[in-house]
Amino acid sequence: MNYRNPGMLEELAAAYVVGVLRHRARRRFERLCRDEVLARAARRRWEDQLLPLALALAEVEPSRNCWAPIEKKIAPAAKPSRPPWWQVAAAAAIVGVLLLVGRLTVWKPPQWQAMAVLAPAKAQPLWRVERSADSTRISIQTVGSIALTSDKSYELWILPGGGGNPVSLGVLPRSGQLHRLLSDRQRALLAGAAQLAVSIEPPGGSPTGLPTGPVVIVAPISKPS
Amino acid sequence: MTKALDDRRFEELLRRCAGRDAAALRELYGLSSAKLLAVLMNILHTRAAAEDALQDVFIRIWQQAGQYEEYKGRAISWMVSIARYRAIDLLRAARPMVVLEAAELAGAEQLQVEGPADRAEFGATRAALQRCLELLAQAQRQCVQLAYQHGMTQEQIALNENQPLGTVKTWIRRGLQSLRTCMES
Repeated sequence: MNYRNPGMLEELAAAYVVGVLRHRARRRFERLCRDEVLARAARRRWEDQLLPLALALAEVEPSRNCWAPIEKKIAPAAKPSRPPWWQVAAAAAIVGVLLLVGRLTVWKPPQWQAMAVLAPAKAQPLWRVERSADSTRISIQTVGSIALTSDKSYELWILPGGGGNPVSLGVLPRSGQLHRLLSDRQRALLAGAAQLAVSIEPPGGSPTGLPTGPVVIVAPISKPS
Repeated sequence: MTKALDDRRFEELLRRCAGRDAAALRELYGLSSAKLLAVLMNILHTRAAAEDALQDVFIRIWQQAGQYEEYKGRAISWMVSIARYRAIDLLRAARPMVVLEAAELAGAEQLQVEGPADRAEFGATRAALQRCLELLAQAQRQCVQLAYQHGMTQEQIALNENQPLGTVKTWIRRGLQSLRTCMES
């Protein structure tokens, strides 16, 4: 099919927006929209043109308890509105003083403990993951040769112990080592989790917050000593 | 009561969501959840399924708010599209072929695209769509509306309309072509 033919693109976009493309054709058109600005423009045009049909429907107020699960789900990643500049400056000054005092007195480098070795089935390990003794951060060291085109990333996930959706630990490095500070939620989930997973995602990681590509590694987590 | 659509306010709230401001999502929910739930209920039919999908839609809006800037269209259009495509995916994954009762389709026969008053530019789009839909053959109009508003597949429409699948496909294709030509004129 010649997607560069404007008439064809319009017809596909219209069928997509109206909702009559079959499942595989839908997914193909979504992929096309990711790559082709003309496809995105055609889709947006149809979305705008048919929008009045959606807005003509009589509004339906959601139940009172509908908001709470949304709030709960977004809470770990949310941050409050930005504080005034003087609060930021004051906080920075206090942190500076504390860091200086810490360096002069009791600062110690974090102690690292082995956490997981990430290796595809029947293949050499690609990364080694360690956690700090206080479980506030992880260190990811590349130990194998990463063969992945630049339009893809490997993303690391916690598989929560009691089931539930995987939670991202961020994109894995292609080389070298990186340290990552864990959120309270990530720490709590890691404490109860038995496995990590790695999936292949678009550059920069999954756009949805959940794995979208194939899971290529599942690795057990060593318990902290 | 129908809530007004303030495009600039919606855009600002989406920008704040992209900056991880949870209060902005709360406000966006207050302004748009009743519209999105209407869209979802029309496709998914039960309140429980539609409210589950609504939660999912707002979490997607939160996660994807950073991508809105490059959409270059109306914020409400972006949000309605997220809701409609989510509902269609859920419907295709879960629902066997069903025939809607005549009563459920009663609204579909009156094709009205009147909506809340909002800015002039959108009022013009709405008037143009209304005019262009009225120019379509009745069968074409009915098929386009069943697909768009009710999320029905072409097979389901064929069953509902008691017409061969090929005929329904042709009606929809020609209906959309005529709409496009009319909207561009």
